[in-house]
Amino acid sequence: MRTARGPVRSGEAPGGKVLVAGDASLAEPLAALLAESGCSVSLYVVEGGGVGPAGVDRATDLAAAAKDATIAFETAVWPPERKRALIETLDRALPAEAVLATLATAQVTTELAAWTTRPEQVVGFGMLPGAAAPGLIEIAPGLATDEAATATIEQLLVAAGREVARVRDDAGLVLARILCLIVNEAAAMLMEGAATARDIDTAMKLGTNYPHGPLEWADLLGVDFVYATLAGLRAEQDEDRYRPCPLLRKMVLAGRLGRKTGRGFFEYAERT
Amino acid sequence: MQRLGVVGAGTMGIGIVQVAAQQGLDVVACEVDESRMQAAMDGLRGTLARLVDRGRLAQADVDAALSRIQPTTQFADLADVDCAIEVVPEVLDLKRQVFERLDQVCRPEAVLATNTSSLSVTELAAATRRPERLVGLHFFNPVPLMGLVEIVRGLRTDAATLEAARGLVRQLGKTAVEVKDTPGFIVNRVARPFYNEALRLLNDGVADVATIDRIMKLGGGFRMGPFELMDLIGNDVNFAVTSQVFAGYFDDPKYRPSYLQQRVVQAGTLGRKTKRGWYDYE
Repeated sequence: MRTARGPVRSGEAPGGKVLVAGDASLAEPLAALLAESGCSVSLYVVEGGGVGPAGVDRATDLAAAAKDATIAFETAVWPPERKRALIETLDRALPAEAVLATLATAQVTTELAAWTTRPEQVVGFGMLPGAAAPGLIEIAPGLATDEAATATIEQLLVAAGREVARVRDDAGLVLARILCLIVNEAAAMLMEGAATARDIDTAMKLGTNYPHGPLEWADLLGVDFVYATLAGLRAEQDEDRYRPCPLLRKMVLAGRLGRKTGRGFFEYAERT
Repeated sequence: MQRLGVVGAGTMGIGIVQVAAQQGLDVVACEVDESRMQAAMDGLRGTLARLVDRGRLAQADVDAALSRIQPTTQFADLADVDCAIEVVPEVLDLKRQVFERLDQVCRPEAVLATNTSSLSVTELAAATRRPERLVGLHFFNPVPLMGLVEIVRGLRTDAATLEAARGLVRQLGKTAVEVKDTPGFIVNRVARPFYNEALRLLNDGVADVATIDRIMKLGGGFRMGPFELMDLIGNDVNFAVTSQVFAGYFDDPKYRPSYLQQRVVQAGTLGRKTKRGWYDYE
């Protein structure tokens, strides 16, 4: 089946409504940048978040907000059952021709698409949570995804002034996979008692010029995002190379998710 | 500390000599033969002269720094240093021999330090009669510009030696981090996935070289992409470090090197220094 909607022309906001649903750390910056580019945006946050960005309709009824959307972005991070429930709800409520863009850093697009009745209209994307605006968004069509659906999402993001890069549908995509594996090594060193969290971060900033220390970066991204990416990578590749550091799982279970809960690898006076 | 010994006057060694002398320490710089010592000192004079030309240093400060350096080819001249740092090539037997000599000539209370990046500090300490006085001081290249020193605790390194190491790093104007004697220490271990996973993604066909670099820079805020950085470091050097960390953790698959990078090394396309690596620099 082909999508009924043609691709959005570059440099022009789409006529239809865009729904952004999921965790605030990704949904809010996405909703903000789409609203700024002139899209009509509804935001449905399932976890975290504040009052939401300006110019965005804050939805409280997901099914109602989905029924007239032409494009939906889904940003649930962890656990997989919660993400699946959100995707299934969106699939039931969205119009048949709507395109669903889904955060594909913890599951491959092809798997996320298989949870729906519209796999040819499901497009995976990747960006880092916790930042004001993503510098670049990765786009990964699944095996069953139609080119028209991929182009729709790509052109929408380009029209919103974002850099995009198409990559093959693979566990963790590029940025989240590499970055979360760096955090995994840092967490392992901390767990082993080989160095302090502060010294690990200082070493990486001064020794390699990283923009953030890996552990303070994990606190910005959310330890749940890091663990979800690594656990997904491990499940998908089924290789010992990708085993998540046990400390990360414990931190997620204990609610030490980073800045958003006031404590992660470091403690914060204010939640952000 | 007032008197520092530096054994080995290659790029790293002479960099440490320069920083120490500029920071006001007296430095005994020791090399195996006269001509190498001479070449290293000529290089250092050139480096300092260029800094004067660019207005970064006063001639008087350069003269003072150079006057604090005593070049020698005799280990005996290291007899009264407070600390001797070994900065010779990463060959276990060579480093062991250096520490045996230092153990003989240096005062019993002197700290012995190694700049090794890939060998065990604990193993080098065992070559001396004072393993508790031996510590790792891992500097980064280029030493005058890189602010970090990893202080590496061998299994038997004692608290007084660590305190002396912290004091020395402070005197050198650097920032110290402390780490147990583990393969790759902090930086060379935690940075592995930046290179190694980029190679894996490339090899698996997820994205090409330029796309991966672009994603890491624009999406992640890294100043250089992994392939640009491997070309700058040298693929031979980068592959060797990965191989050492992999061996150090007894073949843990987390650190398994990439045969794709090995091919690049075998082809002699090492990066910027050969004008060709992942990118062309002609």
